[in-house]
Amino acid sequence: MSDALRAPRIGPRLLRAIAAVFTLSLVAYILIPVLVTLAMSFSGAAQLRFPIRSWSLGWYAEFAASPQWTGALINSLIIATGTAVMSSVAGVAAAYAYTRYTLRFSTLLYVLLMLPLFMPGIVLGLGVALTFSRFSIGGYSLLGSHLLVMIAHSLWAMPLVFLLMEAVFRMIDRRVIEAAQDLGCPPLRTFFEIEVPMISTGLISSLLFAFVISLNEFVMVLFLTDRDTQTLPVLMWLGLRSAATPQIAVASVVISLSVFACLSLIMVWYVRQLRKITR
Amino acid sequence: MPQTALDLDHICRNYGPVVAVDDVSLTVAKGEFVTLLGPSGAGKTSTLRLIGGFESIDSGAIGLNGGRVDHLPPYLRDTATIFQSGALFPHKTVAENVAFGLRMRRIAKADIAVRVAEALAVVRLQGLEDRYPDQLSGGQKQRVALARSMAVRPAILLFDEPLSALDLSLRLQLRSEIKRLHDEIGFSAIYVTHDQGEAMAMSDRVAVMRSGKIEQTDCPETVFNAAANEFIHTFVGETCCLTFRIEGGRGVDPATGTLDLHLAQPLPDGAYRLYLRPSQPSLGQAAQAMPNRVIARLGFVAFLGEKYRHHLMAGPCEIVGDQPGALTAESGADALIGWDSSAMRIFQ
Repeated sequence: MSDALRAPRIGPRLLRAIAAVFTLSLVAYILIPVLVTLAMSFSGAAQLRFPIRSWSLGWYAEFAASPQWTGALINSLIIATGTAVMSSVAGVAAAYAYTRYTLRFSTLLYVLLMLPLFMPGIVLGLGVALTFSRFSIGGYSLLGSHLLVMIAHSLWAMPLVFLLMEAVFRMIDRRVIEAAQDLGCPPLRTFFEIEVPMISTGLISSLLFAFVISLNEFVMVLFLTDRDTQTLPVLMWLGLRSAATPQIAVASVVISLSVFACLSLIMVWYVRQLRKITR
Repeated sequence: MPQTALDLDHICRNYGPVVAVDDVSLTVAKGEFVTLLGPSGAGKTSTLRLIGGFESIDSGAIGLNGGRVDHLPPYLRDTATIFQSGALFPHKTVAENVAFGLRMRRIAKADIAVRVAEALAVVRLQGLEDRYPDQLSGGQKQRVALARSMAVRPAILLFDEPLSALDLSLRLQLRSEIKRLHDEIGFSAIYVTHDQGEAMAMSDRVAVMRSGKIEQTDCPETVFNAAANEFIHTFVGETCCLTFRIEGGRGVDPATGTLDLHLAQPLPDGAYRLYLRPSQPSLGQAAQAMPNRVIARLGFVAFLGEKYRHHLMAGPCEIVGDQPGALTAESGADALIGWDSSAMRIFQ
């Protein structure tokens, strides 16, 4: 046997044990907050308090019966849907232009497009609020409207859509697009009939990502919404400052479940696409 | 009815300082199969993309069936390209792929069905109508691409190295199939390739390109046997080269100063390059009777199946000669190479 080969000081079995403990701790670290909130939502007590003494579905019923909470949920969904559409249209168009044409100052443009993603929410929210506080459309003040929150959330969601779709557009075989035009298909029709199906996975992922971003966002909605348009995170925060009932935990579960649903959809589409590629 | 399918009239295209297509003129008659042959970077594909309308020309004119098209976008030009990658629509079935161009031409549904079936029959893909491209092999994909382009019956078919991504046996098979289709249907075509075997086997005429220019346009036999210049002679078909000087009527190897060369036709003093194709020289005893001879040293012999390939060194130059049988001489022994005057090309 060669002299260079020596038994390692830490045995492979010990190494594996350390790895297992580490992995388990990490999983626990990620899951415990979610699981604790989930457990709390089933509490029978009148207050958010940890050792749970009794179990009940009562707070779910309360949540569903409260127009304030369901209203906030509906506001959240409206704003998230609007953000998803708005940021996807803008992000897809930007990514298309960025990958398809030779643009001047393209690096600068890229930085500019990415910039809002790295801006603190409070700065963006404040800027949007100050800019639009005096605007009104048809008598309705823009401040406090769903539309303004969608615009603000799109500032965060659009760069993500752009990032994702830029990669998607780069992966498309340009020859396929050329083949369609070569066979007599005008550019706009080529985009909708040939390109859109090719980018559908990316498109759906973009929509869902933007939806999730908007659903989770708290800082901007805090001062861009009013009593009629406030979203679930805002109402939860208000609730925490006053009654702190397990309804807040119910709201957390509702948001988390929506996010999980979106992420699973993305995963399903992604896996389907992977299978197509590797077949 | 015009007899010319395609007319390129002094077309040029620059990319910045790079001249991709330099004053190219070429006409393709109705039903003619013309190949653009050349090394990579010669401007073949650029020329094809100018015809298809994917790039625009800087100057010149492009005529299609007698009408000028160089101002038209690709979707208004009556051309159909078969791309190297196939470029099938991944989310459409084989039948939908083939029907696409016909739909764009607003042909009645019933007629589309007939023509799709026809096109798929022609490329022998019946039964695969409902498959998606990712369920097809490389060869099948190219057949679909071919059917898709042929179905629209364009003024000219543009082949952009359609076989270069396939393995050898498939390449040979599809090569003869395209040839068969051309003979049966008589479409007009420009075929871009860097494979001179493909060009020879399929074409009515071959246009050899280098550095954006067409250097010779002729039938394959003429290009092979009477190349217009040294580049074409060496690019088309295998050659080996003997470099020598003539000094005082004697052949001299510029490196060693000696070369036992006998030429039937004496040459004036100067530097020359003499080209022979591997099938042409006679070796050993048989070379004695030839009018041109050189003494070389036998390197090694390789068995190629139906023949033996002899590698010989005449000075620093390697001459390759194919014979049905192997020379019996030892490696390193002197061997005589002889050839007919018609077999060689000499360039100064």
